[in-house]
Amino acid sequence: MAGSDTLGLLMQGLNHVTLQSLVMIGVACVLLYLGIVRKYEPLLLLPIGAGCLLANLPLSPLLAEDGMLRVLYDMGIRNELFPLLIFIGIGALTDFGPLLENPRLVLLGAAGQFGIFLTLLLALLLGFSRPEAASIGIIGAIDGPTSIYVSGLLAPHLLGPITVAAYSYMSLVPIILPPIMKLLTTQAERRIRMPYSQRQISRRTRILFPIVVTVLVGTLVPFATPLIGMLMLGNLMKESGVVERLTQASSNEIANTVTLFLGLAIGSTMVGSEFLKPSTLAILVLGIVAFAVDGIAGVLFAKLLNRFSGGQLNPLIGAAGLSAFPMAARVVQRVAHEEDFENFLLMHAMGANAAGQVASVVAGGVLLALMGAG
Amino acid sequence: MRRYTLGIGGREFLVDVQELDADRFEVAVGDERFEVTLRGDEDLPEAQIVPALPSAAGAADTSRPSAPVRAVAAAPRVARTGAAGASSSALAAPMPGVILELHVKAGDRVERGQAVAVLDAMKMHNLIGAPRAGVIAEVCVAAGQAVGHGDTIVRFGD
Repeated sequence: MAGSDTLGLLMQGLNHVTLQSLVMIGVACVLLYLGIVRKYEPLLLLPIGAGCLLANLPLSPLLAEDGMLRVLYDMGIRNELFPLLIFIGIGALTDFGPLLENPRLVLLGAAGQFGIFLTLLLALLLGFSRPEAASIGIIGAIDGPTSIYVSGLLAPHLLGPITVAAYSYMSLVPIILPPIMKLLTTQAERRIRMPYSQRQISRRTRILFPIVVTVLVGTLVPFATPLIGMLMLGNLMKESGVVERLTQASSNEIANTVTLFLGLAIGSTMVGSEFLKPSTLAILVLGIVAFAVDGIAGVLFAKLLNRFSGGQLNPLIGAAGLSAFPMAARVVQRVAHEEDFENFLLMHAMGANAAGQVASVVAGGVLLALMGAG
Repeated sequence: MRRYTLGIGGREFLVDVQELDADRFEVAVGDERFEVTLRGDEDLPEAQIVPALPSAAGAADTSRPSAPVRAVAAAPRVARTGAAGASSSALAAPMPGVILELHVKAGDRVERGQAVAVLDAMKMHNLIGAPRAGVIAEVCVAAGQAVGHGDTIVRFGD
């Protein structure tokens, strides 16, 4: 008897292997593959994949009370700490100069958020609850931390699929955007040259910008205060030039550490019973719809602006209006450069891209306000 | 200020061009100074500069021939390539950044569109192509050097 008990204890792990957990380990391996081999946002997908793998091993002690993954989740996801810390780093890395040089680009940032609201409506039609639909729509902000922040508040049980969708699609920006851009523009439009206009932005303007934006956005959309406040704090530190060490720490050490914690904690939410549902598939599909609609709306709106500006604005930069800073801007530059090797849209695209970054935060705040979240 | 070393008829002239305004330049040729007003600035695709120099014999015995002044008239156009963007005689940086790689050296013949340099702007590597076919006379930057918008990267010799 004693022998079979011992055997039972030793075989505990094997006995708790379920089909679900095996499938989830497969999902984890796919994420690891995408990150390591395909280089899709490896900084996020590798920790998420690892977190998912560890969480789905039988009886994983990491998920038990005081288990590391549970502690990380409670420490920084449930209370939104991690995405906010990452935002300080993003702010410290974002150069709003190109936007300040050409402030009308802010309109493109707004247009690039259109996918959020269309996707929200689609999700409602598919039968998701309002908070769930809003969380799925926020994938259209094409901004990881914003997606985590909003869905963490509104629908924490969907955090895993939403984060995976947001980051996977973000890494697909160079693949998803160019066909949309080419389909919606003529060759002549893609060849519109926009010379770089060197307007010197004074240090005072650069320092005042984050403060003014924080006060303005925080007053208009109080729910966006945490995100915009941290984004602009990082930017203020960078532009002030007086706290170089803090800027460096925020954009390197802190951001890197938090990225690891965040990825592991998000991955740990991806357990079979929560993840292997039809809703996950729906979220993945809706996410790509949100993404495409953002790009389409951005380019179409830029075409409209081009009409008003007498043909001075290359509609391609509309595609940079979605967030995904700075990747979207680089994609715009690449597509324009393929058409005309002497055309350099990068700075303008960066302006639209930085505007998209701010706009997606504002959109997140608006969503939270609409849902009456607290 | 920009200094041109011009070889004319086997002789060398130092021409210094100082931009005073967008269209006013102070030009020093040897010891003489001229204030030059730029009345026009256009790219002529097939421009041929026909030397209208006085005969070499006439100019040989004077250190300040009238010829350099004639050359000076063309000089401000060159000086302005920086501000005016691409021109037929030079390739200017389209935006601020750092030159990462140079794919040409003085004397190389390039085709239009051929990669001349890689410019890192906003952490993106941008291939800078030759605006026209021609021979590189001078590479004005070094790898690792920061450039501003309009700074000359290479100068064409022909």
